[in-house]
Amino acid sequence: MSTLVVQDDVAEERHRFIEKLTPYLFISPWILGFLFFTLGPLIFSFVMGFYDWPVVGERTFVGLQNYEVMLTEDPLFWDSLWVTVKFALFFVPFNVVLGLLLAVLLNQKVIGTGVFRTIFYLPSVISGVALVTIWAWIYSHEYGILNFLLGLAGIEGPNWLGDPNWSLLAIVIASLWGLGGTMLILLTGLQSIPKELYEAARMSGVPGWARLVYITIPMLSPMLLFTLITSIISAFQQLTIALLLTKGGPLESTYFFAMYVYDNAFMYFEMGFAAANSWVMFLIILILSMLVLKSSSAWVYYEGEMNNSEAADD
Amino acid sequence: MKNYLKQFAMVITVASMALGGASTVFGEEVLRFATWNSSENLAILQKISKRFEAANPGVKVQVESYGDGYDKKLIAAFGAGNPPDVMYMWNYPKYYTSLVPLDEFMARDAEDMDLEDIPAGLINTTRIEGKAYGIPAGFTTHVVFYNKDMFATSGIAEPEAGWTWSDLREKAAKFRDKSSKTYGFAVEMKPDPYDYEQFFWSNGTRFIAEDGSSVDGYMNSPEAVEVLTMFAEMARTEEATVLGVGDSTSGSALFKGGKLAMFQSAMWSKGGIDKAGINYGVAMLPAFGNKPVHSSIGASAMSIAKATKNPELAWKFVKFYASPEAVKLRENDLPVRTSIAEEMNLTTDPVYKPFFEMLALSDRESNAFLRHRNWSKIQANLERAIEATMFEKGNAKKHLDNAVARSRRHLN
Amino acid sequence: MTRALTYGALLFLSAMFIIPFYWTFITAVKSIGELYQFPPVFWPDEVMWDNFVTAWFKQPFDVYLKNSVIVVVLSTMGQLFSCSLVAFGFARFKFRGRDAIFVLLLSTMMIPWDVKMIPLYMEFNMLGWINTLKPLIVPAYFADAFFVFLLRQYIMTVPTEIDEAARMDGANSWQIYWRIHLPLMMPALVLVGTLHFMNAWNDYLGPLIYLNDQSKYTLTLGLSMFKGLNETDITSIAAITVVLCIPPLILFFFAQRYIMDGSIGSSVKG
Repeated sequence: MSTLVVQDDVAEERHRFIEKLTPYLFISPWILGFLFFTLGPLIFSFVMGFYDWPVVGERTFVGLQNYEVMLTEDPLFWDSLWVTVKFALFFVPFNVVLGLLLAVLLNQKVIGTGVFRTIFYLPSVISGVALVTIWAWIYSHEYGILNFLLGLAGIEGPNWLGDPNWSLLAIVIASLWGLGGTMLILLTGLQSIPKELYEAARMSGVPGWARLVYITIPMLSPMLLFTLITSIISAFQQLTIALLLTKGGPLESTYFFAMYVYDNAFMYFEMGFAAANSWVMFLIILILSMLVLKSSSAWVYYEGEMNNSEAADD
Repeated sequence: MKNYLKQFAMVITVASMALGGASTVFGEEVLRFATWNSSENLAILQKISKRFEAANPGVKVQVESYGDGYDKKLIAAFGAGNPPDVMYMWNYPKYYTSLVPLDEFMARDAEDMDLEDIPAGLINTTRIEGKAYGIPAGFTTHVVFYNKDMFATSGIAEPEAGWTWSDLREKAAKFRDKSSKTYGFAVEMKPDPYDYEQFFWSNGTRFIAEDGSSVDGYMNSPEAVEVLTMFAEMARTEEATVLGVGDSTSGSALFKGGKLAMFQSAMWSKGGIDKAGINYGVAMLPAFGNKPVHSSIGASAMSIAKATKNPELAWKFVKFYASPEAVKLRENDLPVRTSIAEEMNLTTDPVYKPFFEMLALSDRESNAFLRHRNWSKIQANLERAIEATMFEKGNAKKHLDNAVARSRRHLN
Repeated sequence: MTRALTYGALLFLSAMFIIPFYWTFITAVKSIGELYQFPPVFWPDEVMWDNFVTAWFKQPFDVYLKNSVIVVVLSTMGQLFSCSLVAFGFARFKFRGRDAIFVLLLSTMMIPWDVKMIPLYMEFNMLGWINTLKPLIVPAYFADAFFVFLLRQYIMTVPTEIDEAARMDGANSWQIYWRIHLPLMMPALVLVGTLHFMNAWNDYLGPLIYLNDQSKYTLTLGLSMFKGLNETDITSIAAITVVLCIPPLILFFFAQRYIMDGSIGSSVKG
């Protein structure tokens, strides 16, 4: 009898242990990947930030000097940060809102929407090298297709990439061309909204816009949160298009922070300084994302919340 | 759970088997050779490497082409301590501490490789602190391409040897036609300073003092202001179109499309222009008044990494690349050997001749970037000044002074 | 009325989105003379279909294709397996450190690659993985943060009652994941597969850094080789770009259809 109880206890114990372990087993692929492929480089780059670290040759410890130079001596740090913030202010809302509009528009089971969806995804499929060649051709001041078309309408187009007043906008537009990914993500999110909700609303005479505001947006909010955070991250990391299209010009009007880091690393070979730059960038994005995430308990609605009193994110 | 793990393990096993390891055959010596060349130029390099393999049994040359991503790739490879054995090199100031100085090799084999045949000016483009770190395999100087048909149609006299910038401007102005969007010449808003320095030299100044101690009085000298002001002036009067940022190929594209009568460039544009079927001529760079003209020299030189396991073999390979046999095969840049140039009649061919004439005039100066280790940062300030001047179509003095001021903290 | 408006808007927008692709195609089939004409040539006098063949054989693209397919297929499998597991872990369990770990996961998306590049290269070099396809495949088996986050958000829109009911019937966590959530997640998994396929297919930096030998190159890396330091082979870039667009576009067309139709079966929710 007593042995039986002990066995029970052991079984219970083991059961509880397994119970406790299960979640960690589920997330273990990521944990292992983090340990193998991310943690090492992360620590390495953190240490690098305190060194004068040319790619080849002598490495010397310089303490906080990299951070000091960045914050107090180098005007480009603040300039590029400001350009990036301006870009993000345009890019993030447009990316989310237009992505949502397209998704809602194409969430109808009407003939031809499949083709439309594919068309809107087209630019996302074209690889960077070609995309930039295309944009250079579209934006070219005198010989470009955009100004050619504007000319037909009697408008004299600006020098898109050559005028600091227009260049950032040109980059924003070119970046938004890749909206297809956002559209697809939100489109998938829309599929998980129960159709019954819409039918009920329609029957009680709720107009279309109200259905969007009161059903679609709240039900889609987990996906919107995702889109918002990833848009912020990609806005702050924006590099390829500007690097290939304007090289940061004219007059540094499109000199993004990521390009500043890139130049320090690959043009000036100052790996330590670039690492310090990256950590600052990392902190900025992290803080912004955390703010959005904190705010999300107020506006994101999780159907599958484990426990309402304890929001999953904080 | 177990099931999943089993599947997972299987996938991993299959994957790692499918991917295999290194494919090197045992006993074969592999020499890694990295280049920024692509397409036709790459094919030429591969051809030369095959010949080297044929002459050296047991050696395999692995030609690694990184194209546009060359600099990035090299940084990763050097930074992680896994560089190629032999590579194309231009950025000596940043890499020379990891490269093998070649003077001893050169002294040893001078006769054997007939070093006299290679112009000293070319080897000088690889010198840091007196030591040579590369052997040039091909080179280019800068010239002006002009569209013969456009000159004939407009009845304008073609450029002649010894012409000046005011000659060029006078001709260029006549080609400007608003309705057909035609221009006589093109100036760049954000030129590569490496090539831009030739205008400073030709006007009797340079970017930085010979000993690299100062830019004040050089970068912002009256001669420098004159150069920038002239180009800005050409843009303002529409004697030249401004090649804006954002379209690095548009200069050659415009020339190929017959929208540009004269185009200042180098050997790398020739292939494309040939293919586009333009009837063109080549002229030397124009001079500033009666001052001697001086071109920038772009050399594709080959260097050896210190980390290489077999420096002798690497040297043998580099030597082979500079041999008459290999030089002859490089049809897309100019032969570094005077004897080959003469043998192929390039020095008398009207298209090639100006390149060699420019070379003969261009051995007085060496590029600023060889003179100061922080040059790349100083250069960013200069680029900004040029860009601002072109954008405002003037104010060169102000912007150059500003560049000098901003460069101060990089100079010590 | 609204429908007509919708279609009008869609048609207008499509035109804007299709222009770049149209231009790429036109560039690919133009003769060199037409390439640089102004006003631009909107339809070439003679369509040079040969340009596709010429471009394809300028480099060993059949080898590149094989490499790309290996990378894309194996890494997509990896992402689907690992991300669905990890996302389920974060969405459906409460455990010590969960929120901190989740923030850590999110933060890995924010690390600029510039500084990770050299240490990661060193690591792969030590493992002997440089100049193999492994650096492009193996990390995919360890769950990318972007997709984990995406799937987690998706799972969290599914009511927990379903899990509870299954648990009442004696299902363990693995069974709930495997039998209930994996099928429910299908549209999102197709989405992840499509997005990752695109990333892997178009990845330039990874192959550039980790591959040395042309026999290991992928399609996108091969494409970029048409852009040298000074001159660019525009026709070949355009031709190969058009070819490279086709597989992802076909995939996308079917994926979006599946995502839209897949929901019909999953009316379990709500």
